[in-house]
Amino acid sequence: MPVPQRMGRGDRMGRGPYEKSGFLQDNSLPPLRTVKTSYDIFFPVEETEKGDRTIRTYPSDTMDIDVKLWYLPFGTKDDDAFLWREEKHTVSFDNSGS
Amino acid sequence: MKWPLILAGILLLAAPAAASGDHPAGVGRDQTLAARPKAKTIAELVARYDSESCIECHEEAHEQWSESAHSRSLFGTGRTALTFRTAILNGLMTWKASGVKELKDVRVEHLMGCAKCHLPQLADATDDVAREIVLDIDAWRTAYLNEDDDKADELEETLSSLNINCLVCHNRNAITHKWTDGYPRTDTVYGLSSDGDTEHEDDVFTRKEASPIMGESIFCGQCHGEGPNFELENPTQCATAYGSYLFAYIPEGGHRTCQQCHMEESGLGHNIQSYRAQEMSDKAVDMEVTTQAVVWRDVSTMRPKATVDIELTNQAGHGIPDG
Repeated sequence: MPVPQRMGRGDRMGRGPYEKSGFLQDNSLPPLRTVKTSYDIFFPVEETEKGDRTIRTYPSDTMDIDVKLWYLPFGTKDDDAFLWREEKHTVSFDNSGS
Repeated sequence: MKWPLILAGILLLAAPAAASGDHPAGVGRDQTLAARPKAKTIAELVARYDSESCIECHEEAHEQWSESAHSRSLFGTGRTALTFRTAILNGLMTWKASGVKELKDVRVEHLMGCAKCHLPQLADATDDVAREIVLDIDAWRTAYLNEDDDKADELEETLSSLNINCLVCHNRNAITHKWTDGYPRTDTVYGLSSDGDTEHEDDVFTRKEASPIMGESIFCGQCHGEGPNFELENPTQCATAYGSYLFAYIPEGGHRTCQQCHMEESGLGHNIQSYRAQEMSDKAVDMEVTTQAVVWRDVSTMRPKATVDIELTNQAGHGIPDG
């Protein structure tokens, strides 16, 4: 989101509308442009020690991924958040061990 | 050899005389609603821009507007009104040169940082009205906290009577370039087109005219602004959507107007909304998500992971979020 500069000077963000003048940073979605982001999410792993070796096992070879685009116009997510988009995906990997 | 200097002196003397001729800047300014003697009470200010007579013929537009934030631009859900108060307590009362030590010191000019957009017609009122608004907001807060519902409701009704109504848009702010197009007249309402007919069925606003900007983005840009309002003694910015429209949307090849997206294509008409209306949020942002599982090898360790690629495309005419 646009980060308003306090009184148009320095590195401090202005919060109240009476003190906003300028921007320090702008992470908003720019109009008519596509913003790409990527995330890596490792599958949960359980590690057990067996002698000198660490044995890794995966409780599940399937992961449910819930992608949500939230807008927080004011305060925290508990205050007045707006769920803009949501998509659910499921991915799985070959857990046969080969 | 001295005569060119003498001629220059004559020209300098002549210039002020031409500027103070029969036609000073602002021909017609004194024929506007804004130019009438300043309103001394909230009731007087409400009466000046009273739009009740519009409802009979423009019922649908009125119903739509009633659902919009414009119909409660000063009070909002209560939070807007409280932000006026916060601006005074955390801003004006802490600034050494504002002249405000307590709520009753507030004058019109102190509120214009907020009121320029939330209540532009406040510029047509005395400082007594500014004080009345501020003290009413404070009294509403006290009543609300004390659970005095009757008092809170009464004050909410008073504060909600101040808003961006028909006459603010279709008269007071209907013309931006007043030297080019003339000042808004006290007997005229301004719309998208007049159909060549200037007759308007109303006892007071007996004429109608086309506003040259009613369908243009600059009309909305008067409030949904560009950045710091440098015309103020203490500049501030709230909405910056028009700046984003001008300097980000247009350079990307955008060509729609605010009205096209927010009023026409949305089907919302005068119920001008933003992201909380599904009609707007559905078309504003496209989200594409692709996922896959990859077994990642880090030296000798195999670690399966999910990769999630997200593409967000903002189809709106301004950055999201903005205001």
